Amino acid sequence: MSGKLTGGAIEAFTKGAAVPDPLLQVVNIRKIDGGNGPARFRLMMSDGLYTMSSFMLSTQLNPLAEENTLAPNCICHVKKSVTNTLKDGRRVVIILDMEVVKSAEDVGGKIGDPPPYVEGQTKSTAPPAPNPLAQPLQSRNGHDGASGHRGPSRDFGKKAMPTLPSTPGGSSKVVPIASLNPYQSKWTIRARVTNKSSIRTWSNSRGDGKLFSMEIVDETGEIRVTAFTQEVDKFFTLVEVGKVYYISKGTLKMANKQYTSLKNDYEMTLNGETTIIPCDDCQDVPVLQCDFVSIADLESRDKDAIVDVIGVCKSVDEVSRITTKSNREISKRAVNLMDMSGKVIAMTLWGEEAEKFDGSGQPILAVKGARLSDFGGRSLSTLFSSTVMINPDIPEAFKLRGWYDKEGHALEGQSMTELKGGGGGGGHSNWKTLADIKAEHLGHGEKADYFSCVATIVYLRKENCMYQACPTQDCNKKVVDQHNGMYRCEKCDREFPNFKYRLILSVNVADSGDNQWLTCFQESAESILGHDADYLGKLKETSEASFEEIFQKANFNTYNFRVRVKLETYNDESRIKATALELQPVDHTEYSRRLITNIRKLAAQ
Amino acid sequence: MASVYELPKTRINTGMLSQYISRPVCFVGRVHKVNPTGKSFTLADGEGKHASVELSDPLDEELSGIVEVIGMVSNKATIMATAYTIFREDKGTQFDLELYNEGLKIIHEFPQHYPFEVKTSG
Repeated sequence: MSGKLTGGAIEAFTKGAAVPDPLLQVVNIRKIDGGNGPARFRLMMSDGLYTMSSFMLSTQLNPLAEENTLAPNCICHVKKSVTNTLKDGRRVVIILDMEVVKSAEDVGGKIGDPPPYVEGQTKSTAPPAPNPLAQPLQSRNGHDGASGHRGPSRDFGKKAMPTLPSTPGGSSKVVPIASLNPYQSKWTIRARVTNKSSIRTWSNSRGDGKLFSMEIVDETGEIRVTAFTQEVDKFFTLVEVGKVYYISKGTLKMANKQYTSLKNDYEMTLNGETTIIPCDDCQDVPVLQCDFVSIADLESRDKDAIVDVIGVCKSVDEVSRITTKSNREISKRAVNLMDMSGKVIAMTLWGEEAEKFDGSGQPILAVKGARLSDFGGRSLSTLFSSTVMINPDIPEAFKLRGWYDKEGHALEGQSMTELKGGGGGGGHSNWKTLADIKAEHLGHGEKADYFSCVATIVYLRKENCMYQACPTQDCNKKVVDQHNGMYRCEKCDREFPNFKYRLILSVNVADSGDNQWLTCFQESAESILGHDADYLGKLKETSEASFEEIFQKANFNTYNFRVRVKLETYNDESRIKATALELQPVDHTEYSRRLITNIRKLAAQ
Repeated sequence: MASVYELPKTRINTGMLSQYISRPVCFVGRVHKVNPTGKSFTLADGEGKHASVELSDPLDEELSGIVEVIGMVSNKATIMATAYTIFREDKGTQFDLELYNEGLKIIHEFPQHYPFEVKTSG
């Protein structure tokens, strides 16, 4: 029975020699909890002559152990492995690919009684050979009377992974990204850079530094790579997006999923020993791997999930500048993406990407690794690690372009983002009629509801439409007239010789189904009346007739209103409070399209 | 018979002309060709199909762009115009003839919701 096992394989492993396709018996399996990472499995294996307990299962093989396919006594065919030497000289064999050829039940028990392998002990069983690869193993096979035709040792001399190209340095073989792990230090991968960040610097109590990160892929997987200070100087200019490189000897650690969407449990940090060498023969290395999520499906995803999305850039907001918590000023811009699900989501671009983005011609935008947020319903934000591609050369983009040009452009698209992030015009969504407010009990929920509607002003309440407010910028508190030429602001606890006028205008708007009171503050009231608050205040003081005329003129104008509704309770009385957040003139072409689409949808029901 | 002005006029496109012979209609189209005599011109509807319009008096102005005509449909399926209006396009918004045609189709597809054809009594 023991003849089926590849005797001598254990010894070869401990000497760091390649052992192609050995058959080994599992003696014991131990689960090692990996802290925040996935569990690892450590195996004790036997080749019939010796046992060795320093076999590690690479994480992608964990299911084998978890499903009990891999159990003590089973015989396995180790197809791919890498031997690592730890600092203290011990060797660990990482199993990258294996197959159970005979289950534990079929084997029935431990084959023979092999002792644990101890270096130097081999003398008793086999003479030490200068070439541990072939000599001792073959002789041992002879000893054990191996079944000849099935002897795996036939493959000796063949390269372990013949399909992979050799490394330029020649020191270690090229391994797949999927096999990388922290227990292994000597390796080379051959991968394509799909994304490279710009250099970011930091400065804190512990000192200054800089970093950049990149994402690389090969046919087996992807991994995020970060370089710090010295390695930034060394590699930043060398690495170009889209090119293929041999990379060896990085440090691997558990990936922080908060910052990356890559499907890898680990991430890599470049260190002083790392080498990166360009590779010219790169036809077979895949380009960017994206796993696009339909925009409609984003609703069911968790907040803060990192997702890949592709969509048509339906509309673009203006760039705005904000100051972050860390007091950095940064540009941002929201774009509205629609895909074939007919849903629209707002995505925020930052920094240079926001400034340079050109939404004309409604380009296709593919984003790898955007973060999903529940800000205003559902929205997306690009991260430092996100890759944004405009009109990428991928089949999904062509399909989407075809769909959009043919039918998608006529769709209004239902937005997943209810409250607009950045203000600015254009982003209407969630269209309702005024009758829907009552029918759908809008505003009755815990949070306020936001919707857009087309409505006509039928009455404006002129009384109390203005108040005297604190002249301090950003303080709009009502001031108290001290009747001595001074105006007092309670909030600022100061008296001023002047004040500014603020508008708080109640308007009654109507559509074909119902009417509704809306409160309009400063900006929206100014656009309804067509004059700024300052002018209106002065006019009210000087010419009541002209003031009246402005109100008459504002009647019977129709707008697209963006409305916030919320049930509010005063003195035990609940009523819906509706506020006009913004308004624009009706775009009749767009409005007609929307109506036609809705009629067609209704007719189809 | 009452004048075209007083009768309800159905909005139609070129394809519908033959169904509205001897009835008052309203037709919106883009000026395609004006006859040198100034007594007739052709309009292209939102589908690009041409319709002939005949006038009782020759035109006294240049005609171009989008024009709305009201009149009766003749036996030859031409429109005997009573009046026309030029849609000014200099105000920024372009008249979308194709979209207008989509609207027309809806009016004719759902007459129960667009009862504009009621005959005036008397």
